[in-house]
Amino acid sequence: MQVYYFTELPYHEYPDEEGAKYPSLRLTFPNTYYDPHKAHDLFHRYLDEYQYCEEMGFDGLMLNEHHNTPSCMNATMNLIGSILARNTRNAKILLLGNVLPIWDNPLRLAEEIAMLDILSNGRIISGFVRGTGVESVSSNTNPAYNRERFEEAHDLIVKTWTTPGPFRWEGKHYHYRVVNPWSVPIQKPHPPIWVPGTSSPETAEWAARHGYTYVAFLTPLNMTKELFGMYRTAAAEVHQTVTENNFGYLLCCYVADNEAKAQEEAKHFIWRMGETTRGPREYFAPPGYRSRIASQIAARRRTSESKPLGQQNIEELQANYHVVAGTPDTVLKKLRFLKDELNMGHLVFYGQESRMSHKATMRSIELFGKEVMPALREW
Amino acid sequence: MPRPNWREESVNVAGIDVHFYCGGEGPPLVLLHGGEPNSGWLQHHQALAEQFSVYAPSHPGFGHTPGLAWVATIADMALFYLWFLDAVGLARTHLVGHDIGGWLAADMATACPHVVDHLVLVDAMGLKPQHSEIRDIFLITLAEVRAQSFFDTTQVPEWQQLYGQPPTPEAADRAEEALETLVRLCWKPYMHEFRLPGLLPRITRPTLIVWGREDAITPLECGDLYQKSILGSRLAVLDACGHCPQLEQPQAFAEVVRSFLH
Repeated sequence: MQVYYFTELPYHEYPDEEGAKYPSLRLTFPNTYYDPHKAHDLFHRYLDEYQYCEEMGFDGLMLNEHHNTPSCMNATMNLIGSILARNTRNAKILLLGNVLPIWDNPLRLAEEIAMLDILSNGRIISGFVRGTGVESVSSNTNPAYNRERFEEAHDLIVKTWTTPGPFRWEGKHYHYRVVNPWSVPIQKPHPPIWVPGTSSPETAEWAARHGYTYVAFLTPLNMTKELFGMYRTAAAEVHQTVTENNFGYLLCCYVADNEAKAQEEAKHFIWRMGETTRGPREYFAPPGYRSRIASQIAARRRTSESKPLGQQNIEELQANYHVVAGTPDTVLKKLRFLKDELNMGHLVFYGQESRMSHKATMRSIELFGKEVMPALREW
Repeated sequence: MPRPNWREESVNVAGIDVHFYCGGEGPPLVLLHGGEPNSGWLQHHQALAEQFSVYAPSHPGFGHTPGLAWVATIADMALFYLWFLDAVGLARTHLVGHDIGGWLAADMATACPHVVDHLVLVDAMGLKPQHSEIRDIFLITLAEVRAQSFFDTTQVPEWQQLYGQPPTPEAADRAEEALETLVRLCWKPYMHEFRLPGLLPRITRPTLIVWGREDAITPLECGDLYQKSILGSRLAVLDACGHCPQLEQPQAFAEVVRSFLH
């Protein structure tokens, strides 16, 4: 199993009672609560942690992107990715992922990712996402065309990477007289493409048809199995071979020297699960953003089969395998269970959140690298 | 039980069956609904049907009528409705539209002035106010939209019929589809169109603009802008009334419209 380190690059530097005054921490929480000087310190701290992960033997470093939210300062992951491309040597750089529908010029994105692949000497894994509704609204991209734009931008980018230029593109949402960028990826035919999933069957099936790795993001175990099953069915229909490498699982994880310390630090994930996901449906899934089927699954995720993430306490989050915390032995046992249940080939180690200190973060990375990772290598 | 004096029909336009309510006798009057699904035959339809043959079509993609992929803007839908007029055999008609229906009616009248007898725009979308904003209904909940749509919900005589019960699954599905289509058509620019102010002077038919003085969705300023852009038009403002005069004050609304059409 391959392991990738991840943090959302959070900015939890405002008084919580101020955040509570607003309908959501996303989209409309005023950016006057953001201090660029504090952000400077945080960015460099998080970059140090990423670099330490490479020292500790992580296979990859995962970045993501959100807009208008203190939960994620990374508003353009390719910038941070370019720093890692220069400052690391071996780790894969997992972009999971660029928000395709909000790009009016996806050709520029194809160029940026190709440049990253060149700079990193072929270490890019290029994830593509639809973004939350907040990304649609903050970029004012029509949510009713989100999936169409996602698919067309993807088709254009892959063609740009794989077809010698120049060629012409006359699509529905994108039009180019001359597609002929000089930056093309080092990896052939193109960098691996990954897709995260939270509830949409369409996304699992689309990823399956293309043979892309599908990473479950904080879905309950039974639903994760269901979505992986939909993936397998869709892959079988187009005769795509499916191995464990087609599946990944994102897990909030803290490793400590003793159980008490692990439990104390694990509580930092609660802010991510609850407070930063609070807000009206109109922010997270504006009309037209989701299909009816996906809405039904999302509703199940929020209600009947498991409590909404934001309403689960830390014990429930651990019982449901959204958070795993403990000594290396405890963590290994739980990871073994997850591996047996899901048989995924990739694990995203979501290792830092909220106000977890640099020191605490570094210790968990170290313990995971030295005492958990060696066993995972054999799985 | 007496037979209702209105009926539901459909007519094929652009390859789809367009659903519409119709009733009454007299000169034809086409009534274009706003951003929600067609509400059905209500008091204001009935009041107008006393003197006119009322046609109340359901917009494509708003629940009762299938959507059309090529209808991506209000201007596209205006062309669709000009085709609809051909299909139902109306060479010339009174045209009344509320909310996006008003925007549609204005667009139809700029594209094809000769098909319009009299034009009535009711709290219409389509123009960008200079000193205020059109309320962004895509970022608030349906309950908030409802609350903002009326000056006083207790004076809406058909409130119970319209909103008193939880919607049936079919009605909820129609509402969801309508909202999705509305987003498709009006997301950006939000509820207005750059070209419309330039085209409105083409309208030379008698035009009445009706507005609720307390409209919290489409500010009265938009009514003023329509009035100033359409030569010879008149603005009738209803006091103690919000965004939906035809629902909040159906009799007063019908009276204003009928007296204009006389």
